[in-house]
Amino acid sequence: MQGPLIDTLVRQGVSRRTFLKYCATLASMMALPPTAGRAMAEAMAAARRPSVIWLPFQECTGCTESITRSHSPTIEGMIFDMISLDYQETLMAAAGFQAEEALHSAMKDNYGKYVLIVDGSIPLGLDGAYSCIAGKSNLDTLKEVAQGAAAIVAMGSCASFGGIPKANPNPTGAVSVSDVIKDKPIVNIPGCPPIPVVMTGVLAHYLTFGKLPELDDKGRPKAFFGETIHDRCYRRPFYDQGKFAKTFDDEGARNGWCLFELGCKGPVTHNACATTKWNGGTSWPVQSGHGCLGCSEPDFWDAGGFYKALSMPANPLKYAAVAAVAGAAVGVAASFANRAKKSAAKAAHETTTLADLEK
Amino acid sequence: MSLDAIPIHVVNTLPAGSGLTGNAPPLLRELAEQVKRLLATGEPSAIDLSALPLTPADLEWLHDKLGTGEIAITLQANGESTLNETACPGVWWVTHHNEQGAVNSQFIEVAFVPELVKAHPKDVEIGWEHLELLISDL
Repeated sequence: MQGPLIDTLVRQGVSRRTFLKYCATLASMMALPPTAGRAMAEAMAAARRPSVIWLPFQECTGCTESITRSHSPTIEGMIFDMISLDYQETLMAAAGFQAEEALHSAMKDNYGKYVLIVDGSIPLGLDGAYSCIAGKSNLDTLKEVAQGAAAIVAMGSCASFGGIPKANPNPTGAVSVSDVIKDKPIVNIPGCPPIPVVMTGVLAHYLTFGKLPELDDKGRPKAFFGETIHDRCYRRPFYDQGKFAKTFDDEGARNGWCLFELGCKGPVTHNACATTKWNGGTSWPVQSGHGCLGCSEPDFWDAGGFYKALSMPANPLKYAAVAAVAGAAVGVAASFANRAKKSAAKAAHETTTLADLEK
Repeated sequence: MSLDAIPIHVVNTLPAGSGLTGNAPPLLRELAEQVKRLLATGEPSAIDLSALPLTPADLEWLHDKLGTGEIAITLQANGESTLNETACPGVWWVTHHNEQGAVNSQFIEVAFVPELVKAHPKDVEIGWEHLELLISDL
């Protein structure tokens, strides 16, 4: 199915206003100016459907679940109508030789133009023998398919940073996509799983502007990862007032106070959960009463325990600066006696806690 | 099953007037600027309410201040959207809901007519073809 996108959508009963409304919402979520929605709609409507190849490596299929089971099939589904998903092992009907043929014909027909989505990390141990598809190691497959890709999207924390397979002691030698591929534009969409609208936002940006969105120093789209969970958290006022839940069932917890002392990693986690929320805007971890795990940051699994507080600030309002150096071998409250303990914590990839500092 | 069967009661009801952050009043000034620009150049603009740190109380305050105008438009497209004129003509409160009824995005648009309301020429063409078809069947 070729031709402008809007024709495809109209054939499926999507009206122009529906599309415009969708673009307005998407522009809002991408922190674009409100009037950008119309420009996006115009550009996307005229765009041709790009070919997309989706490769799963060492993963749990959670990323695919997140996208395909997103709340409103008409919204995120619409984006999937805008692309030609030529290879996705979990979703495609074909199997075995047929599936491999689909992959290779998509690569041949759209060489240099297709978008490659990868979820899962790539094991380098034992020459990549830990994960093979169709008799080939993930490493070889990635190198081969990446060659003809216009851009690569690393979906989820595993593809972006190595994720849980890379967790200490990393038995398979797992690495991220950007550790293997150096000569292609790569956008990381970390999260365990990533937020569906971030995925669709990146695709919409690619369709609208023909290139990947602006990225931060970890390769993540700034529109969604530009701010921390803490910055946009609705419980932030309680943090500023020094009101903290001390246990999961105390009065503070019932009053919805800040979960910082219960190990919330919001202050050092860049993601959009606080604004986009989950399950169709129903809720998100902090709203359900649990701190952020920090799943969109590198090595979150080894960051010293989900229920350990990041550190205790001397002055809540100056916290951001303290958080930035927590875990490094400097800290305002550090004493010489604690140096050894702190460097040990750093070596073990643990975040220094208040208890560590005060001992 | 009725929700009453679940023995939970809310204990932290907030006192009235709380939740105001003071972020809403400056928006009135921004709106005034935008209305001025609309009159001078005809250029429409918008404020993305979901992108600003506004609490539900702030939004309510703003909604109250702007009031209700003469026109209320409902759009059925992938969930309901409401485009309501405020007491200030040319200032529209636009809310997009998804099919489940949750708010997807919320804007204040400053325009003579909100963009979404206008029929696209391509759609008008299709309507015209349909009319021609109706006529040919007479």
